[in-house]
Amino acid sequence: MSFHWRRAQAVAWKDGLDLAKNPGLVWSMFALPAVLVVVPTLMVWAWVHSPDDTTFRAMALYYDPKFPSGASPVRFLVDKVLTDWFGLFLLMPLFTPILIASQSVAGEKERRTLEPLLASPVTSAELVAGKSLAAVLPAVVISWVAFVAFCIAVDAVAWPLVHGPVLPNGVWLFGVGVVAPLYAFLGNGIAVLVSARVGEARLAQQLSALVVLPLMGLVAGQLAGWLRAGTSYYALQGAVVLLLDVGLVVASIRLFDRERLISRWS
Amino acid sequence: MTARIEVHGLGKQFGGRTAVEGLSFAVQSGEVYGLLGPNGAGKTTTVRILAGLLRPTTGTARVCDHGLGDGEALRRSVGLLTEQPGLYDRLTGRENLRFFIRLNELDEGPAWQRAEGYLRRFDLLGREDEPCGSYSKGMRQKLAIVRALVHEPEVLFLDEPTSGLDPEAARTVRDAVAELAADGRTIILCSHNLAEVERLCGRVAVVRTRLLAEGPISVLRHRGSVLEVRVEGEGEAAAASLEPLGLDWTTQGALVRVTLQHEQQGPDVLAALVHAGVRVRSAAPTSRSLEDVYLELVRDAAAEEET
Repeated sequence: MSFHWRRAQAVAWKDGLDLAKNPGLVWSMFALPAVLVVVPTLMVWAWVHSPDDTTFRAMALYYDPKFPSGASPVRFLVDKVLTDWFGLFLLMPLFTPILIASQSVAGEKERRTLEPLLASPVTSAELVAGKSLAAVLPAVVISWVAFVAFCIAVDAVAWPLVHGPVLPNGVWLFGVGVVAPLYAFLGNGIAVLVSARVGEARLAQQLSALVVLPLMGLVAGQLAGWLRAGTSYYALQGAVVLLLDVGLVVASIRLFDRERLISRWS
Repeated sequence: MTARIEVHGLGKQFGGRTAVEGLSFAVQSGEVYGLLGPNGAGKTTTVRILAGLLRPTTGTARVCDHGLGDGEALRRSVGLLTEQPGLYDRLTGRENLRFFIRLNELDEGPAWQRAEGYLRRFDLLGREDEPCGSYSKGMRQKLAIVRALVHEPEVLFLDEPTSGLDPEAARTVRDAVAELAADGRTIILCSHNLAEVERLCGRVAVVRTRLLAEGPISVLRHRGSVLEVRVEGEGEAAAASLEPLGLDWTTQGALVRVTLQHEQQGPDVLAALVHAGVRVRSAAPTSRSLEDVYLELVRDAAAEEET
């Protein structure tokens, strides 16, 4: 079976257009990035403006019992929270494709557009590629734009303490450049897989969203001090997610079997 | 004439449920062929198999010289109008059509010109830049027909094309179907509107999971038709001469009503009467409507299934 990139592009074009004309969905896509940028910025701002708070030293000692007595606990906590926050930041590339892909696949069933689409020459692989492109690309772009905004905001509020930029650093550049797109593929793959099995976009969204739970668990482990985040930690996460992505692409193409979709949903 | 659709022993099962069983028919180039049957009779399943959306459990078929396994090439040569128009409501009519032009990898300029021609034909030109969500039911149906035609398919499958349309829009669609057939397109029309089928189709198949009857409408309408013969003298005595033909008959005075199995039996009846010395004063076949024939076929099949 040949793969025609032009047809996959057509699917991505249509889904992109449909998304752009759905203001409710577009606004909901910006809510999570706003929270993920504003909350840590406010935390850093609060710490920088009260550097003598004694609880900061206690917090620093909790995470690092060998924390030097002369060092600035606020600087330590800023570095610590920024490294750990990347784990939460990954929610953005993970969740945004879920919002889009669950609408675009289960939405085709709901709107009864699936049968005319499947009656066209487009193949399952092209359909999956087009729909994935339409979901992953906005997620990655939003993540990168949010990252730039985050760097500017954090550097601005941390400047009085650090007197230089704290972001971007190696962990974030690697994470946003490599790990975030892999998570975007994961969110998309799960949403495509789930929405091929259920008939409603909302149900697909709710079920797919459960994928954030392991990620939240990892972040909780970091905050509890059980897991130490860093470049190698996120690289390991990325490697695991890459394997999951490959498996999901194969499973999605199989699940996009016309017979299965038509006999089940039309 | 060459057959553009050939179906041999087609069957489809979903789990333990039989949707279609042993269906065989052929449709010639430029023919409008009606597929009739009650809801759940397997019409849509048949169309989906022939359009390359479902795989048959048994049997084979060829559509435009493509086997059912030819997937992509098969889907490229057929157009499908589904029961629901299935349009993207947030997209405009133009964007909906452009999407399918791109899926079929057509040159956008000439393809759009063709589409404009159909839009004009269906009175949609000037509305193509409005979102489909704002279209009336009739407009949606007409745009869905244009979408099915945009890649100039040789074969068209139309599932209830005038369903929900006002009489004027339905007339436009019917005229367009007739024109498309005149252009040489082969069309399978699934419809519950028997008047529409009589108007558009040369031949029909009546299905209820399996094929109940198939052939030209003119022949089907004579299935079980009655020949009314007025004779001189008592009809009862005259009718006795029909015994060798094995036909059912009733009499009322000088009137003999003979139920024919097919049109060609009329002359046989008259010959038998004349041969027996009966003087025939008049004879008139009473042809039945397609609706009568259809209902009888479906009722008989249902009764047969119950027993």
